[in-house]
Formats: sequence, C-alpha cells, structure tokens
Amino acid sequence: MSPKNNQLHDGFDFVKSSGGIEEYTLKKNNLTVLVLEDPSAPVATFMVTYHVGSRNEAIGHTGATHLLEHLMFKGSRNFNKEKGTAIWTELQNLGAQINATTWNDRTNYFEVVPSEHLERAIAIESDRMRYAFLRDEDRQPEMTVVRNEYERGENSPFDVLDKNIWATAYQAHPYHHSTIGWRSDIENVSTERLQEFYHTYYWPNNATATVIGDFDKKEALSLIKKHFGEHTACENKIPEMYTEEPAQEGPRRTTVKRIGQTSIVGVAHKTPEGLHRDTYSFQLLGKILADGKTSRFHKKIIDQGLATSIFMYDFPFKDNGLFITYAFLTPGVDHHKVEEIILNEYEDTIKNGVSSSELNRAKAQMRASVAYSRDGSHAVASALNEAIAIGDWTFYTTFMDNIESVSGSEIQEAAKTYLKENQSTVGYFIALDPK
Amino acid sequence: MGNFKDRVKQSTPIEGLSSYVMKTGAMDIVTLSGSFLGGALYSQSHKEQAATITASMLDKGTKKKDKYEISDQLESVGAEIHFMSNRHHTQFSAHCLKENLNTVIALLVEQLRTPSFPEKELSTLKTRVVGNLTRAKEDTKKLASIGLLQTLYPEDHPNYRFSLDHTINSVEKLTRSDIIDFYNKRYGLGSINIVATGDVDANELEDCIKNEFGGWATQDTGPLPIRCKANESKRENKTIHVPDKTSADLYIGQPIGIDRDHEDYYALMMGVYILGGNFSARLMQTVRDQQGLTYGIGSSVSGVAFGADGYWSTWGTFAPDAISKGKKATIEEIEKWYKSGVAEEELSAKKTTITGAYKVGMDTTSGLTAQILTNAERGKPIGHLDTYPDIINSLSLDKVNGAIKSYINPDQLVTVAAGTFE
Repeated sequence: MSPKNNQLHDGFDFVKSSGGIEEYTLKKNNLTVLVLEDPSAPVATFMVTYHVGSRNEAIGHTGATHLLEHLMFKGSRNFNKEKGTAIWTELQNLGAQINATTWNDRTNYFEVVPSEHLERAIAIESDRMRYAFLRDEDRQPEMTVVRNEYERGENSPFDVLDKNIWATAYQAHPYHHSTIGWRSDIENVSTERLQEFYHTYYWPNNATATVIGDFDKKEALSLIKKHFGEHTACENKIPEMYTEEPAQEGPRRTTVKRIGQTSIVGVAHKTPEGLHRDTYSFQLLGKILADGKTSRFHKKIIDQGLATSIFMYDFPFKDNGLFITYAFLTPGVDHHKVEEIILNEYEDTIKNGVSSSELNRAKAQMRASVAYSRDGSHAVASALNEAIAIGDWTFYTTFMDNIESVSGSEIQEAAKTYLKENQSTVGYFIALDPK
Repeated sequence: MGNFKDRVKQSTPIEGLSSYVMKTGAMDIVTLSGSFLGGALYSQSHKEQAATITASMLDKGTKKKDKYEISDQLESVGAEIHFMSNRHHTQFSAHCLKENLNTVIALLVEQLRTPSFPEKELSTLKTRVVGNLTRAKEDTKKLASIGLLQTLYPEDHPNYRFSLDHTINSVEKLTRSDIIDFYNKRYGLGSINIVATGDVDANELEDCIKNEFGGWATQDTGPLPIRCKANESKRENKTIHVPDKTSADLYIGQPIGIDRDHEDYYALMMGVYILGGNFSARLMQTVRDQQGLTYGIGSSVSGVAFGADGYWSTWGTFAPDAISKGKKATIEEIEKWYKSGVAEEELSAKKTTITGAYKVGMDTTSGLTAQILTNAERGKPIGHLDTYPDIINSLSLDKVNGAIKSYINPDQLVTVAAGTFE
C-alpha cells in the first residue's frame, strides 16, 4: 500500500491502513504503532501491548507474566517514588484512567488521559519498557497482593470451574494454566526469573503502541518517536512458544465440590486458532444458542426453570480455544439433565444446521454490538488489543465483513468439525450441603 | 464534552416528563436511560421486592405481545431494553442503532404502559430470583455489606438492608395482585426523566416521546420523607462465617449524619477520597503497596441521596489468616488520617484527579447518560454538571480537615468481616 502525503512521517514507515486505523513502524527499533483519530471527546487512550502472555510461561513460573505486570507499576528510571513521580500518582493526579491487564497471549498497559496530557502517558510507557526497576523488595509485598487476587478468584465457583475445565481440556499447551498462575508458583517465583522474563520479552520489536482519540497524528507520532526512539530493538530473537496440544482422543470430565450454594454445568469443546475462518461461525453460533431471550438455550433451559442464568463464550486466541456453555443451575436441578439439553442442541446443530432467521438475527446482534464497541476511545482500544494479541489487528477492522459473509452451511460444518464428543470437556461445580 | 448547559437540550415534551438530549460524536448509536420515582422504598412493608419484580416482569409480555415477540423484535435489530429498580427509582434503559430508535422507544413504552404480568412468567421469574439470592448467600462482600448497614441503620431507614433470607421470603410471598397493585400506584407520568446521548436528534426524539407517552395516567408520587435517623454511633465488631472461602471481605464504617445537599458534603467526600478514593490514595499506598496485605482496599461516602443521612466506609479483601493484620493496618491508617488531617499537596492533587476523571468518565455515551440522569433525578439544573469541577476546586484545606474532624470518629467504628475464619 503506497502511503499518502499525510501518512509520511519522519522516522516511521507506513505499513497499511484499515477501518480508519493506520499502522506504522518506528524505523529505529521496529515498534509497531497504530493510530486512530477520533475527535468526539477531548480524551485520548494510549496503550502498549506486549506480545507475551501466560502462554509463554512454563511449570514453576506460571503467573509470572501477571506478577511482572504488577511490578511494572513499582517504578522505573524516571518515574518512581524516590523522585516523587510514581506512576499511579503521576497519572491519577491528572484524572487519567490507568491500568494493565494480562491474558493468555498478551500483556497491555493503558492510560485514558485528557488529550493535553498524552505525552505523559507516552513517556511513562517508554520508560518502563526498558528501565523498570523490578526489585526484590518490591516483589515481596506485591506477591502477597497477587496472592490475594488469586484468593479472591478462588472465592468464585465460576472462576474455579472455568480454571478446571481449561486445565482438563489442555494438557500440554500452556493454556492449561490460568493467567493468574498456580498458588505455589505465585509464592515462589524468584525476582531473577521475573527480570529474565522482562529482558526477554519487553522490547519495542515485541510490542504494539496504540493511540486512539482526540489528538494530532503528526504530533502524537513525533512524541512516540521522541520517547520510544531511545530504545534499540532486541538483539536476540524473541523466543517462540512451540508446544502444541496433542490430539484429544476421548471426552474428558472434571468435578469440583465445595460447601456452598452454587451448582454449575460447563460444556466445552476445542475450537481452532482465533484467525481461522471458523472463528466467525462460532461467534454467530454462540449468539444463536445463548444470546437473548429468543436463543435456544434461553427457551429450553432458563424458561423451563432449570437454570437461573446461562451464557457461553468462545474467545479468539492465538492458538486453539474453547467453545464453552455455562449454566448456573436452579437449586435442586440435576447437572446431567442440563448437560444433556446442551449436548442435544449441539447435536441438532450438527444434523439440521441453523435457520436463516436465526442467522439473520445473530448477524444483526453482532452488527449492533460492534457499533457499541466503538463507544469511547478505551472501548476501541480494548477490542483492538485482543486482535493485536492474536496476531493481526485487522481482525478487528474486518470482523463485521467476515461475519456478514458466514453462511448457515458454514456454521453447520464448523459444528460438525469441532462439537464432537471426543473433543469435549464437561465440568460440574457441585454445591455441598454445609450440614 | 463539558459545557452541558449549551449542549444538552432540555424540554418537557408532555406534562410530567422531562427530556435531556445530547448529540455527541458517537457514530450510529444511541444510549437512552430514564427513571421515575417508585423504587423499593415505595413498596409496602414486607413487600419490599415488589418494585424489583414489577420492573423485571415488564419484558415478560404486553397486552399485544408475548415475551418472545418482544425479544424477537429487539434481537432482530441488535437492540436492548432493560428495566430495573433501585431504592428510590424504577429505571429503564435502551441501547440501539440510530435507525431503530423510534421503533425501540415505541416498544419500550408499550412495555411500560401495557404489561400483561403473566402468572406463569411470574412464577418462573421468582424461581430465578430466589436462585440468585440463594447463591448470594456465599458472597462474602455482599454479606459483610449487609452486616454493616444493619448495624448502622434501623429497619425503617432507606440505607438499611434486609438479610438475604428475609429478601428470599419476601420474593416468595409476592403475588400477581401485589405486582399489579404496585404498578397501578407507581407507574405513570409525573416524575419521569429521559436522557438520550449519541447520534440522536433532539426534535425527533421529543416528537417520538410525545406520541408514545401522551395520554398515560399521571401519578403524584413525590420524594419520600426520611422517617428516621441512623443508629447512634458506637464501636462494634461483627464476624460472619462463610464456609470454604479463600478470601475474606472487611467493611469498616460509621454514619455521618448528613446528606449530599449539606454544605460539608463535598469537603467530607474529598477527605474520604484522599484516604481511599483511588490507587494513589493512602489506603492503597500503605495497606496494599507497602504492606502487601490486600489486592484491593478503598473508602467512600454513600447513602446520601434524597435527604438520607449517609455513611462513610472502607472496604478491603484479605486472606482469612491475614484479616486481623489487615484490619489493624487499616484502622491505623484511618487514625493517622483523622489525627493529622490531609496535606495541601494531597488536596491539590486530588482536585486534579477528580476533575480530570470527571472529564475522562464522559468519554462514552453510557457515561454521559448516567451523569445527566443522576443529576436530573437529584433535581439539579443541567448547569450543575458544569459547575461540579468549580465546586471541587473551591474546597479549602481547612474545610476538608474540618469535615474529617466533624463527621469521623475513629473510636466508634463498626467493623464487619465475612469469610472462613478459624
């Protein structure tokens, strides 16, 4: 794609544009930069997405990516408590929304700032990209903070069951463990190991910087060059995660029993990698089965009083994923009964496909939710972040066109291919009577 | 963004209904919210759930459509309509593409004006609600919060919360005639506010509102008088045991005796914000960042709307075996804050935080809609939203520290912990 005059910027190569978003590469170090100007509010979101997540971890240091994310707020060369420029204080005192998140395939740091403060966000992210302190005296108290985050997650029956289903469905691939990691790894991973992790993955050529909102593109790119341009690219090759999940050769089951009031059924099937064409079929099938009161599961499960709520998800990941339906059972309802209804509906999709009215409705729902997902610069950044994570940010800009092109027979084929018993993992959370 | 007075078109398309419309740069989408007086506090004694259940029954059928026809109409265009109720108001909201706004409003009003309340649907809904409430009996945060409010307030106070068992019982006893009775008394024109933001034309919306709401009955529902005050403040410690939980929730709080319109409200709110309003506030910096005792801790002033004497509270989570240490560290920080007050530089920094966050928070149509509706519900003129940053910036150090001394008493804190304890 040849750049237009307004896409020529000193120090950058223009790469491509799609859906109003332009991609550039900072020549100095191969940092990928995405810009989307939107003047609807005097606010800008700056985000740096690192192409490292819990899929890059192994036994002994599960949760390291997330723990490292926490330590990244503890100070860097120019932004630290000692200088009176601690990151949270610097940004929150401007009224910025600031945070970071870690997931399977990526770690992202973001700031939503009044536009006039965009440079502060850029300066902070650049500084901690290569000059984070990562001190042992910071890791000690932060480890217990993260352990409490883990404990809070363990309080939730849904979180516990979801974790167990992934751990059962994936045995070799690192999606086996959740992003928070196993408790003993959180407690024992060394500061040196976290530093090694940082120096392996936190480089401009393993990151994407995104600016969205009300700003001047030329000025924003100039600021990115000024701050990130001080870094060199990593001299070593960024390691690739190469573990593949062996073929699943039979149905799997997992059960969690705890004293409490909650009973849940989860039915999961392996799906292809996020950029596979069948992803779009599963996004639509999820809507047909579980989104809205006219969805199949709502009519057959909720309206029959068998569950108090039901939902499904199929997040597109860099590698294979899971198409999971969860039902929170009405007290006294048998887990097997609801599992059978869910599986029968999958079987019906395989045999009979979906109707054109179901497909049209699912597409309309998707069209509207894509429009809603552009409400505010941070909302756009969040959605774009997941596309960056799976390896192609244009997944976000081309998503709706791809959805519109899905046919009913494609959905049926995808169901036939993936919703097989041998690819399934079923989980029960069983509430035990406190007496 | 900002300058609400000039950008929001306020009108009264029909008697008993005010509309507020703000066109923003959001493309193709419209967010609409509205409310009227008639929340849980307007229910009869022992039928506290009538407001919630009535609102939840509105999508179960109208005189012309069953619930599937309603859902089908919405889902075929990807739109959403929700009904809910809080303590004071019954609220509704809709989210749709611009091209479907008139159709969605017509359906929303049909649901509001001609609900059929099918008996069978009521029974299914009650089962679901009871199931959700039963599940909440293992929610440590909810249990600790209820425990705090039951200690701070008498049963007749708007800030009191009934136990989950009481609420379950209240839901189970509700009949279709209770719902119809509540509906007939509370639903109608009179106190309705409607806000729409996004890709919306104010004149078209007003015409649509006139057409759809015109001729609806008027209710003379007004703000409720506050019948009683908070309990006398006294030190008290409560523990609620919940089995098999890996994290515990701790609430520390006390009544403050003033409402949002009191002249000291903003000064106190600012003082409490400096203690625990965000990540860079004192509690997160000490109890989390320095001592590593919690993933999250914060403090706020609540329950101050519509003349109610509110309370301030601190909430945090701790490992069950660290709860004593966490509580001690939190109370030490509260005592230090009370004794020494806050510093000028803290006040200055938090003024920028709050006014900046106010601006950033309105980056979305949902953020804008919520701000405008809340302002209207409180009976404030639209220009009040423009003056909020000035109110914050005008707070003096003496005023903030004076409010902390006047309304906080570290010797009479109520603490409630819920979790699995030895």
